[in-house]
Amino acid sequence: MSEFFVIFGILLFSTIRLATPLIFAALGGLFSERAGVINIALEGLMLAGAFTAAVVTYETSNPYVGLLAGMAAGALVAFIFAIAVIKFEADQVVTGFAISMLMLGLPAVISSRLYDASGATQPIDKAFLLPEIVNGLPWISILAFLLAPAAWYVLYKTPFGLRLRAVGENPSAADSAGVDVYKLRYTAVIISGILAAAGGAYLSIGQGSFFTKGMSAGRGYIALAALILAKWKPIPVLLACLFFGFTESLAIQVQGASWAKIGGEDIPVQFIQIIPYVLTIIVLAGFIGLSRAPKALGIPYKKGN
Amino acid sequence: MSFRYLTLLLVALATIVSTACTAREEARREGCQIKVGIVFDIGGKNDRSFNAAAWEGVKRAEKDLPICLYDVEPGNPTSIEPAMRAFAEKNFDLIVGVGFAQGPIMQAVATDYPNIKFAIIDGVIFEADGKTPKSNVASLVFREHEGSYLVGMIAASKSKSGVLGFLGGMDIPLIHRFEKGYEEGAKAVNPNVRVISNYVGVNDAAWNNPAKGKELAIAQIGKGADVIFTAAGNSGAGAFNAVEQYGLNAEGEANKFVIGVDSNQNGDKPGFVLTSMVKRVDNAVYDAVKETLENRFVGGFHVFGLDKDGVAYAMDKNNEKLIPGDVILRVETAKKDIIDGEIKVTDAMAN
Repeated sequence: MSEFFVIFGILLFSTIRLATPLIFAALGGLFSERAGVINIALEGLMLAGAFTAAVVTYETSNPYVGLLAGMAAGALVAFIFAIAVIKFEADQVVTGFAISMLMLGLPAVISSRLYDASGATQPIDKAFLLPEIVNGLPWISILAFLLAPAAWYVLYKTPFGLRLRAVGENPSAADSAGVDVYKLRYTAVIISGILAAAGGAYLSIGQGSFFTKGMSAGRGYIALAALILAKWKPIPVLLACLFFGFTESLAIQVQGASWAKIGGEDIPVQFIQIIPYVLTIIVLAGFIGLSRAPKALGIPYKKGN
Repeated sequence: MSFRYLTLLLVALATIVSTACTAREEARREGCQIKVGIVFDIGGKNDRSFNAAAWEGVKRAEKDLPICLYDVEPGNPTSIEPAMRAFAEKNFDLIVGVGFAQGPIMQAVATDYPNIKFAIIDGVIFEADGKTPKSNVASLVFREHEGSYLVGMIAASKSKSGVLGFLGGMDIPLIHRFEKGYEEGAKAVNPNVRVISNYVGVNDAAWNNPAKGKELAIAQIGKGADVIFTAAGNSGAGAFNAVEQYGLNAEGEANKFVIGVDSNQNGDKPGFVLTSMVKRVDNAVYDAVKETLENRFVGGFHVFGLDKDGVAYAMDKNNEKLIPGDVILRVETAKKDIIDGEIKVTDAMAN
């Protein structure tokens, strides 16, 4: 029995750690998409946050300053994205993808200038990383969990949230009711940048101790998948991210476990590596039903149309 | 919101990018006898591991020899070929490709430019018949399984739990060679030892995912592993973080260790790094440059094993207290036996 609790504990902490960056990014995507802006840039926003947080933490030896700087960088990059897609009505998918690509290259250019090291930033001493509650459970994970109900409150219980949702469903109607559609969309996209960047910062100054090129490794896109799986609703977003975290954690724990055997032989690693994908397909196909996007998602708003 | 903001932002961005680029132009590029171009792997030249070793080699050559050095770090796999062709178009004397992934590309480029000399690390390039080594390409390959065997012996001697971890980057035959050699070396010391092997992933993002590397290392530690050998590029750093975080006993002494790879990583987390399986990519690249300069370039396979110190285990002041003298003695004997052919280490890529 005690062994069960040990395995359960390991799985739980590991799930939380793996889900933390996803929760931040997916909740960020939630704000942007509920306001009608598709946010494929999440991956790039995470990288912007991860890079800036790593550099600033290394320079100041203060992870909180690093975290704030990372979030500010996320806001800045999101602002650039917002100008392109809101003011200039560029294609949201293409632009978002371009931002993500830019963030694969730009940090390398800047870090080669700063440290003469283009692939990675300097390692940060363990003492200056984001602190943990107990070994293996960082405070920022708790923040991620609290963020989901907070997002629910903002979206469903405040005038700002009501307007934001209205802008994502029917911007013309919202406009005629006196809502500034542009201003709301800018705000929503910038919020998404701040949150996604916090998720990225967790990778470089919480879980890890430096930035390396492309270190988000597709987590921004998984966050987007979680958002769709959760039908663009805050609490289900939290659960979907935990689900993705759990499947990955399960795949990690099963690999090489002494009980993971079939007929005395180890289960092939490749087989275990497909667990997250198989579970995702089962859940998507079997339990979710129709996932309906905000009506105005992806459509630039033109005043007077 | 007006155009002014956008212009301002773009100007700011352009300034950052352009100053960063121009600053790298160095005045040293005059009076050189040969031009050398190097195309790195996706990990980039500062991965503190494999690419870093190649970079170290060409930098040393640039310092010692009258050469002009140009380097490219491809942002993604599709930009490798244009970079390599750009060097060839400009009539470079030697083009170095870092990593197995550049094999098929170099195959094509080296065929199109038969008068230019090429060197590839971790790859082998043949003529169209698939048998004769290409004459204008030096294929620099290493017997990683031999070095891995020795660090496997060190790991099994150090382990108290009898459980070892292996953390691979991308799941490819080259990395299986590290894994297999490590396991055989460990079993030679303790036949009952158990090796838990994990791979970060199946595409090139696996070299740059330290967060996943750390989770895998934590899971291995949870299953009792007390020495973890990493062969995972930047992802390996995750394992270094994991042992630093979970590797102290109640007295504050280290009881979990990692083994570094390719470059000497003993100093990355001193006290927690048992040793590093160094692959002297730097020496191999340096020699290729030197031979090209002195008109002694020889195409075909250049194999670097324990005999030529092409692979080795790293000992320095950071880890000398971690490995007792009798273990070193035993490992040195095994090293001699491998060179003499008394011990045969399985090469996972041989079949």
